[in-house]
Amino acid sequence: MNTIEIKDLSFSYSEDITALKNINLVIKKGEWISILGHNGSGKSTLAKLIIGLLKADKGDIYVDEVLLTEDTVHEIRRKIGIVFQNPDNQFVGVTVEDDIAFGMENLNFEREDMINKIVEYAKKVDMFEYISKEPHALSGGQKQRVAIAGILAMNTDIIIFDEATSMLDPKGRESIIGYIKELNKEGKTIISITHEMKEAVNSDRIIILKDGEVLAIGETNTILNDKEVLNSSNLELLLPLKLMYKLDEANIKNEKVKDILWQLSLNK
Amino acid sequence: MAIKFEQVSFSYPSFDGKNFSALKNINLEISEKGEFITLIGETGSGKSTLVQHMNALIRPTTGSVTIYGIKIEKNTNKNKRIKLNPLRQKVGLVFQFPEYQLFEETVQKDIIFGPKNFGIKEEIAIERAKEIIKLVGLSEDYLSRSPFNLSGGEKKRVSIAGILAMEPDILVLDEPTSGLDPKGRDALLELFTSIHKELDKTIIVITHDMNTVYKYASRALVMYDGELVFDGVPNSLFSDKHITEWNLDLPDIIQITKQLEEKLDIKFDSKPHNVDELFNLVKGAL
Repeated sequence: MNTIEIKDLSFSYSEDITALKNINLVIKKGEWISILGHNGSGKSTLAKLIIGLLKADKGDIYVDEVLLTEDTVHEIRRKIGIVFQNPDNQFVGVTVEDDIAFGMENLNFEREDMINKIVEYAKKVDMFEYISKEPHALSGGQKQRVAIAGILAMNTDIIIFDEATSMLDPKGRESIIGYIKELNKEGKTIISITHEMKEAVNSDRIIILKDGEVLAIGETNTILNDKEVLNSSNLELLLPLKLMYKLDEANIKNEKVKDILWQLSLNK
Repeated sequence: MAIKFEQVSFSYPSFDGKNFSALKNINLEISEKGEFITLIGETGSGKSTLVQHMNALIRPTTGSVTIYGIKIEKNTNKNKRIKLNPLRQKVGLVFQFPEYQLFEETVQKDIIFGPKNFGIKEEIAIERAKEIIKLVGLSEDYLSRSPFNLSGGEKKRVSIAGILAMEPDILVLDEPTSGLDPKGRDALLELFTSIHKELDKTIIVITHDMNTVYKYASRALVMYDGELVFDGVPNSLFSDKHITEWNLDLPDIIQITKQLEEKLDIKFDSKPHNVDELFNLVKGAL
């Protein structure tokens, strides 16, 4: 079943700055898709269009077969949660608890239900002991976990991570990737925007944007290994694959080493 | 010695009313020339607080920081007798989101803003801007453009140009590459390397990226829980057994080399620093 369908989508910020051109994309329910591309390729713009923060110049977006319009935008936002890049930009509450509640308040959850959910999801992301703390006293990784708890509490089927790990330290990054994996296992549809191939290897499919257009889309294993596509979009082959290419170029054929390098690039 | 920290501690009242120690007994010396330093450590370990002491933006709670011969202590400058502006010109600090600090109509106005504030004549500042814009890898016609229509990477370059225009001896950058794509990140680090080499300036970069530390730095500083726990060359940092304790990870090249050695059950003769060196080792072993 498709959960998001994008047809001929175009968007410009101004007459001379076209951000997206004729995007066509289908995302299946329960799928984890990574969106990669150079700075300014249109990745975040696409995310903002999907949740209706921006309005397309042309084209349609369907979420669970409902066309995104001004009338349906609120209904659609109930289905999609988004975690942004800068954890400091998404906090509104005085305490962690307030922040987890914020999304639910917007969706008019019952008070009692809300309190139970705050506790449940603060525990789930391992932030229960911080529930009455000021969000600003937390580390970047902890803040992103609070943001995730808020989205989980809203129980959306789709979660977008817009470079949600790019400002975190190694430990924070690892913990967020761990949560994304878990959520995807539980059946959530994941759209993750990133520059890091290391993160994208976890997803089912990869879409690469270049100058506002889809440059490539395919299974992760295929895109991962596509040197030309990655190069032309300012991305980098994973180190084991770089080595594999070098061995190939030097005509050194060793299936065992090749196999090991492939496994290493998939983090296995 | 350009900057010297002597037993520096810094604390501030936290939200629960207790005092939070952001820096604990820091002793550190930084040369005026020739160093490429990376400052690493997990979020909240005190990295940004440390660098803000380097141009007297904040003063130590105890101990002292001596910057170009001027000793800064807790009560220094309460009566404004010492001019701190010259220090801020010598030690240029680029904050984490420098692009948020662009505000003028044109790139040129943004670049000359700092020098003009420090008393440089406008004509001279404009001449400097023309040189510097090229140094940061942009062409001269960028000077007449609006900073707001530039990409993230370009904005970062313009804001770095603004700091360079003040001709600091030491350039401190707080996470300059976060959010950039791999090519943009490498280009910016190459830029710092060329500033470091060609202009003979000391560069201090705060980063979470261990690949950057291993590839570019001549010296690594590690902060953990307000303490300076490591000060040395990257090679010895990444063979230090405390590295996981400090919540750091290893550069890709070291991780992959280790895993290859394990899976192939061999031991390479040397430690590769890049994929070419690793390639030669693998070639030799097959």
